[in-house]
Amino acid sequence: MSDKQQNSESTENTHEPAPILYQIAIFTGVLFVSSLISPLFPKSFPVPTPVIGLVLMYVLLATHIIKLYQVEKLADFLIGIIAFLFVPSGIQMANSLSVFTNDGAWNGVMLIITIILATIIMLIVTAYSTAVLMAISRKVFHKSTEVH
Amino acid sequence: MNWIDFFGNGLDPKADHIAFFGIFLSIAVFLIGQYLFKISGGFFLFQPLFFGMVLGILILWLMAKWFGVSLPHFYQSAYKPGGDIIFWFLNPATIAFAIPLYRRNDVVKKFWLEILLSLIIGMIISLILIYSLSKALGLHNSMIASLLPTAATTAIAMPISGSIGGVPAVTAMACILNAVLVYAVADMLIKLFRLDSDPVGVGLGLGTAGHTLGSAKAVTLGSIQGSMASIAVVIISIVVDLVVPVFASMVHLH
Repeated sequence: MSDKQQNSESTENTHEPAPILYQIAIFTGVLFVSSLISPLFPKSFPVPTPVIGLVLMYVLLATHIIKLYQVEKLADFLIGIIAFLFVPSGIQMANSLSVFTNDGAWNGVMLIITIILATIIMLIVTAYSTAVLMAISRKVFHKSTEVH
Repeated sequence: MNWIDFFGNGLDPKADHIAFFGIFLSIAVFLIGQYLFKISGGFFLFQPLFFGMVLGILILWLMAKWFGVSLPHFYQSAYKPGGDIIFWFLNPATIAFAIPLYRRNDVVKKFWLEILLSLIIGMIISLILIYSLSKALGLHNSMIASLLPTAATTAIAMPISGSIGGVPAVTAMACILNAVLVYAVADMLIKLFRLDSDPVGVGLGLGTAGHTLGSAKAVTLGSIQGSMASIAVVIISIVVDLVVPVFASMVHLH
């Protein structure tokens, strides 16, 4: 299986990238179909359009309906500029800076400190959980956890 | 001078001229940040996104003062129309992460169970730690509820926050701060906690704590990290969907 994949990947690497309008068409098509699926989920279990789109795109790639050369160039470009795309989200805070001062400045500072620590907690705890689980599958189930 | 005169017909929703201001301001502050980041040799406060965000808010604040309107009002009518256009591109940018994910499909196939369990267990431990920490720092229950779902993408975190008694605006802000922070200091944290020996764990951690921005960082670290961060963005959102409401009712947040 992995040999087959290697082969298909190397042929895809040598393939000319699809014209950029084709790539945009695939992206917008996937987004549009996802936007039709998203409202089918119940309100208590929201799954937004881009998350469905990510899964859908992955399924299309995994089933070889879409090939890497047809989407790769646009994807790499978008991922490359994503920090810039987040600027409006950051500036959006101008709209609600008052949430930090509503309960007094002290609580606002505490809130920011908690957010910073919570971010670090999520990063470290997830990484260490993985390390522990990897160690378990290595030592208990004798599975190789080597990755290259 | 009245700011509406300055911007032409800025308050008219049918006039699209005003969108240019938001778009231009966004790219200008980001590029200034990028330049300062480069000449300062990568000083973390000049990280382009963080710096651009702070400078952008500062400029909007100064202009609002100058024109004598409130900052939220000025943001809404002058910046938001342009900002929203850039914001829209986060939709295709998010689905773009299917590509780094698929490039390392071999790793996904080999470790899918470990990935799933790590994210679920990591989320539960994180929730307990974040809850205890916020209690210790004396945050109100509504603020704690706002912080619990922030591992999920904003569009999932906000409604969950509202349903467990949080303030969705605080949640949205925390999600952005998570991402900006992870993007800015990921290298430091990875070195500090010696995470670099385990590419799968680093990827999952970056995707969980930093959303798609964390994944973009992970892609620059390596293909395995990028792939794992991309899958974490999807799975952790579903995990938050399922786990956080249960956790919130267990600790009687509302």
